[in-house]
Amino acid sequence: MTKCVSPNAISTILANPSPESSSDVPEIVVQVIELKATGASGNRFMFTANDGKMKLRGILPTNMGSEVMSGNIQNLGLIRILDYTLNDIPNKPEKYLIVTKCEVVSPPLEMEVKSEVKSEETGIVLKPKQENEIKSEVKSEVPGIFLKPKQEIVAKSAAQIVHEQRQNMAPAARMSMTRRVFPLVSLNPYQGSWTIKVRVTSKGSMRTYKNARGEGCVFNVELTDEDGTQIQATMFNEAAKKFYDRFQLGKVYFISKGTLRLANKQFKTVKNDYEMTLNENSEVEEASNEETFVPETTFNFVPIDSLGPYVNGMELVDVIGVVQNVSSTMSIRRKSNNDTIPKRDITIADATKKTVVVSLWNDLATSVGQELLDIADKSPIVAIKSLKVGEFQGVSLSTLSRSVVLVNPDLPEAKKLRSWYDSEGKESSMASVSSGMSPSSKSGSRSMYSDRVSLSHIQKNPSLGEEKPVFFSIRGYISFIKPDQAMWYRACKTCNRKVTEALGSGYWCEACQKNDEECNLRYIMVVKISDASGEAFLSVFNEEAEKIVGCSADELDKLKSEEGEENPYQLKLKQATWNSHLFRVSVAQNEYNNEKKQRITVRAVAPVDFAAESRFLLEEISKMRVSK
Amino acid sequence: MHVGKKVRAVVHVTQSDGEITTGKSTDEHQLIVKGLPHVSLMSYVEVIGIAESDQSIRAETWTNFGNTFDAQSYNQVCQLANGEFKGLFL
Repeated sequence: MTKCVSPNAISTILANPSPESSSDVPEIVVQVIELKATGASGNRFMFTANDGKMKLRGILPTNMGSEVMSGNIQNLGLIRILDYTLNDIPNKPEKYLIVTKCEVVSPPLEMEVKSEVKSEETGIVLKPKQENEIKSEVKSEVPGIFLKPKQEIVAKSAAQIVHEQRQNMAPAARMSMTRRVFPLVSLNPYQGSWTIKVRVTSKGSMRTYKNARGEGCVFNVELTDEDGTQIQATMFNEAAKKFYDRFQLGKVYFISKGTLRLANKQFKTVKNDYEMTLNENSEVEEASNEETFVPETTFNFVPIDSLGPYVNGMELVDVIGVVQNVSSTMSIRRKSNNDTIPKRDITIADATKKTVVVSLWNDLATSVGQELLDIADKSPIVAIKSLKVGEFQGVSLSTLSRSVVLVNPDLPEAKKLRSWYDSEGKESSMASVSSGMSPSSKSGSRSMYSDRVSLSHIQKNPSLGEEKPVFFSIRGYISFIKPDQAMWYRACKTCNRKVTEALGSGYWCEACQKNDEECNLRYIMVVKISDASGEAFLSVFNEEAEKIVGCSADELDKLKSEEGEENPYQLKLKQATWNSHLFRVSVAQNEYNNEKKQRITVRAVAPVDFAAESRFLLEEISKMRVSK
Repeated sequence: MHVGKKVRAVVHVTQSDGEITTGKSTDEHQLIVKGLPHVSLMSYVEVIGIAESDQSIRAETWTNFGNTFDAQSYNQVCQLANGEFKGLFL
């Protein structure tokens, strides 16, 4: 243990004006001289750092003010500089040292250190006067303020002692020895200081965002510790920039000074009640001696024809298929901040003889997407993990930042797929998964059984669909169609938008900017439906209304003007009543006159398949018995 | 079990020759139905009548369900209706 300044400390500092982090800072012990209070309330302290050879003016961090006041840091004492920045002084060649982190090494020496000082290993000496250790000649100058310590014994904290003992060891080792590693499972928002030792098992890409408070960037990592506990850590702005390159997939780090809070269930990807945020003051140190271990990607493949139930759900799926088609890169403009991001669509097929389109975003579009385009004619097999299932064109798959794409992977499923394709798949005709789903609508009969609820479930939950519309399927009877409601609107024959009556004759479409003699009538109506639990009003648009009423709006309009015993229009509506249907609906919140109202819209309608329905009900019955 | 009582069953017709109709019940037993007119083979017929024995019914009313019928679901409902949920029906 040495109690003297580090040789060439000042040159070291001058050579590296802005170290990236405290782990970049080598052992720098300097003597404090010309200590002076400054600042509005006299709580900042300027000083000159002296290493025996050179001097450098600087300022101590605010949090060291107390150390000075208490006498721990005094003039002629030694401090170890842990983190700093060197600033230029305008119009002068000299630099100014801003110490951001330091610790006390020793109380005042007898005098200013003037010449080369050899470092020595000695035990901890609790006596305040250290001049005996300085071997070289010491000129008997006493410049500056020479403050004698008031106490004879300097109390040192255990941490300080251990720090001094281990001065010359690498920072990481020092960290692991001086700090206890906590298991991830023990962390909570009220825990004081902790250090964890974790591996980065997933690293997201850097995203930029814009919100009411301005712009920013963010990325997150998934951390796993020895016990297997996982937690997500997020970094914003400065911290994101600071740690993005430091965190590498598969490497192990010591992390401390993060904040914990309850995880937001909407964005949770990892099983933990808490999530962590790291800011610029957090500490992230790579643990040396730990092998980089990138966990093997494990897949749980869903056959393409079974994707239906996952549409619009939160669950992510894995798929494997033979590439049939690769599009060129498209640039999509993000609505939130006008960023343009690259996208590429690939079509894959599997042994179920169904195809599906997978949208690759960002890096995946440009890197592996290009790779696939180049080898597309060889019908490569691609395995993708963590895809979001959307309802565009019936069923659509989309990559997320955490998605993993493997080309021609060495997996048993890939081998099976290859042999199927080479023997029969190549020749067989494939159909898009959405086309086979339901005879009429794109939502598919399969999804008529997912998220099946009763009407009362929707009614009893007025806050459903508050943030984003929620989807359900229901089975019910049309119980009433009000004959005198505005049942349709005049629509442009080209774009289906509402047209206005043009001056003169015909109709004007604002969107197409053209006049047309004729227009179509398209349904926009409200129907009342009932089921065993309750009743509700549903908004229905053209395609679905046609199925419910049994004729187009134009035809119904003709019936309306017909004369007869019983108005054929009313008759038609009566005939539509008390028919049961399967509906796919979306529930959202609408604000109307400052009141929030629940709005249920029909997205698809399908006839009740009684056999399938019976099976579904029998299953529900058996579920009831189990839960008893 | 229900001999002498009025019962209802769905029969998958395997033979039909005027007086006697032979078919398979939804739980795979052979049933004989008396009094049905000619019914096309492989169609499902619901028969309501008196059970003359534990394998035959004298039909009083019948309904032809056609060819498409989910016998398995029907059977499950029968089991529930005669078992756990008997109280709902009788």
